[in-house]
Amino acid sequence: MADTDSFVHLARPLGPVAVGSAPTTAPVNVVIQPQALFSILDHSLRRNADQERVIGTLLGTRSEDGTEVEIRSTFAVGHTETTDQVEVDMEYQKQMLALHLKANPREVLVGWYATSSELNTFSALIQNFYSGQGDGTWPHPAVHLTVSTEAGKDIETRAYISAPVGVTAERAADSAAFIPVPYEIRYGEAEKSGLESIAAARDAEERSANIFTDIEALERAIEEVLGMIDRVSRYVESVIDEEAPASTALGQYLLNTLALAPKVEPADIERDFNNHIQDVLVVSYLANTIRTQMELSNRLATAQLTLGGEGSGESGAQRGGQRGGKGGRGGQQRNQERGGEEARA
Amino acid sequence: MAEKEVPLTAVKVEALVVMKIIKHGSQSFPTTATGSIVGMDVNGTLEITNSFPFPVVEMPAESHFDNAAPNPAAAAPRAKANAVYQAEMVRMLREVNVDANNVGWYTSANMGNFVNMNVIENQFFYQKEMNERTVALVHDVSRSAQGSLSLRAFRLSPKFMTAFKENKFTSEELQKSNLRYQDIFVELPVEIHNSHLITSFIHQLQSPIQSAPTELPTSLSALESGPFAKSSVLAPNFDNLSLSIDPFLEKNCDLLLDSIEVHHTETNNFQYYQRSLAREQAKITAWQNKRKTENANRATLKQPLLPEDEWQRLFKLPQEPSRLDSMLNSRQVEQYARQVDSFVASTTGKMFAVKGNLLPGETAK
Repeated sequence: MADTDSFVHLARPLGPVAVGSAPTTAPVNVVIQPQALFSILDHSLRRNADQERVIGTLLGTRSEDGTEVEIRSTFAVGHTETTDQVEVDMEYQKQMLALHLKANPREVLVGWYATSSELNTFSALIQNFYSGQGDGTWPHPAVHLTVSTEAGKDIETRAYISAPVGVTAERAADSAAFIPVPYEIRYGEAEKSGLESIAAARDAEERSANIFTDIEALERAIEEVLGMIDRVSRYVESVIDEEAPASTALGQYLLNTLALAPKVEPADIERDFNNHIQDVLVVSYLANTIRTQMELSNRLATAQLTLGGEGSGESGAQRGGQRGGKGGRGGQQRNQERGGEEARA
Repeated sequence: MAEKEVPLTAVKVEALVVMKIIKHGSQSFPTTATGSIVGMDVNGTLEITNSFPFPVVEMPAESHFDNAAPNPAAAAPRAKANAVYQAEMVRMLREVNVDANNVGWYTSANMGNFVNMNVIENQFFYQKEMNERTVALVHDVSRSAQGSLSLRAFRLSPKFMTAFKENKFTSEELQKSNLRYQDIFVELPVEIHNSHLITSFIHQLQSPIQSAPTELPTSLSALESGPFAKSSVLAPNFDNLSLSIDPFLEKNCDLLLDSIEVHHTETNNFQYYQRSLAREQAKITAWQNKRKTENANRATLKQPLLPEDEWQRLFKLPQEPSRLDSMLNSRQVEQYARQVDSFVASTTGKMFAVKGNLLPGETAK
């Protein structure tokens, strides 16, 4: 994958473009959020049968100084490509952009994507459209992201910005020098759990997975940790048996990790443990008690009075009284409601 | 409910939608985020294949609506402006071959506090106006941050739909229909589904370098800055193992207290209603008795009798307050209780594990 490539940026003379209208070609760092990549992949699946590649618009945020671009979302744009011409649905792009910005006012147009690694004349044309003045990203460079989705090969992602080249202005309009820029896929804390659930389906035949409950997730995490510990202890054993090469650095690292285990008095643990477990259980107990009380109270309020007359009133009051000890207010208000029901009846 | 087709039994969510909803929810946290979902209905399984957020519209502040904090996003799904936006967006998506059927909406929640009038009204609007076969996806931002994704799908039960349509939430109606708080929502199982490309992509993300056996690091710093130390391994998520339990419990207790407060207000309202009802009825009886004696007098004096049913015009019985709020509140409390239960289940396990590890003597016994 391209994230292991290294990049060198060279300053080079710009093409014959009027001074001031050329976009900057300063290096940018591209950060891609996973949902943007996912929607590119989704779009690629939904292309028309005769289409080699599909394109779309990238939206996101740009840091103050313009050195970092974060791609947050994308939308697909229809286009047709023949051997000698390309047609991009500009009207659609404009409308969709407006719609999108309505819901995400903080995101701006940052570039475009294509689902093939190939860069050709059409790429340059489209790139010049996206980086141009007016509707484009000017004066910032437009980011071009290619995500190859060829069957049977790795998904290869590359990010580019462009510099104008060409001897004359006409030539410059349909050519561009694509400069690869580094990118990284970054996901936040909130997305981690989502990605985890998605990743859980990766080995399943039908490519789907159910959502875990808390307990199941805990079980998985513990199993994973146990697996890791097993792996490490196997390695350590094989080093001891002189089957694997030893490494001071690894040993040091493991030692540091072991040193992280806290040294506490058993009595302290006992005390903290008991305190916390009591908290936890009490809250659980209370929550369920509240639930039952409320249900009871609502049931009684809407319950059908079958007995009628004085007898039911007394038994109701007694029941309320007995339970009053446990959930003071609950019992009381049930009594009152009982009374109310009878007054009406 | 039109029963000619297979009823919806499950919801299948594309990975893309999961990520989009998470992004939207966490971006606008702690305010509620809402959006629309599109997809297809395949033999009772609702496949959700794409989503888009709703723009937050500034609603004119309603003066009589001051007890609830105005939250434009929460009401967005049924706002008129958004119906237009949604139609437009769906039309645009159709052009690029996305399944362009509206199948519902999503909302973000905080600690399961999603059972409220807004959600009910939105879902009611969707099931009634747009399409009967729609769902509400609820993504709980706070709970997802704890480690395991919380994404649930709900529909309003047909029983509740009829009751809500006619606004029948008086005691008598509830007795008749036997509608309980458990019957408000029908939860559908949610399944996450990946496309082939995403499966392949995730496999690639997982193992950045694995082709050649790597060399052993030369020093500690080389190891710590190496590719494996910061590897983007997706699973598992060790947030699950965190032992910080107090914030969660505190938050839940707060929420429960709020619910008790609401419950108390509701019962007070009801008591007030019953008191005033009793008072009115006492007045009516007094009036009727007075009229009767007067009529008896008139009868002896051979005067024309006065009508005895005039009280219906003179006195007005107070309206019975709706039971809906207390029902919703009960449902909400149930939600909290279940949440606490599942939290407690995993926490006690973790705590015993920690105790066992730190006091080795205990486990040996």
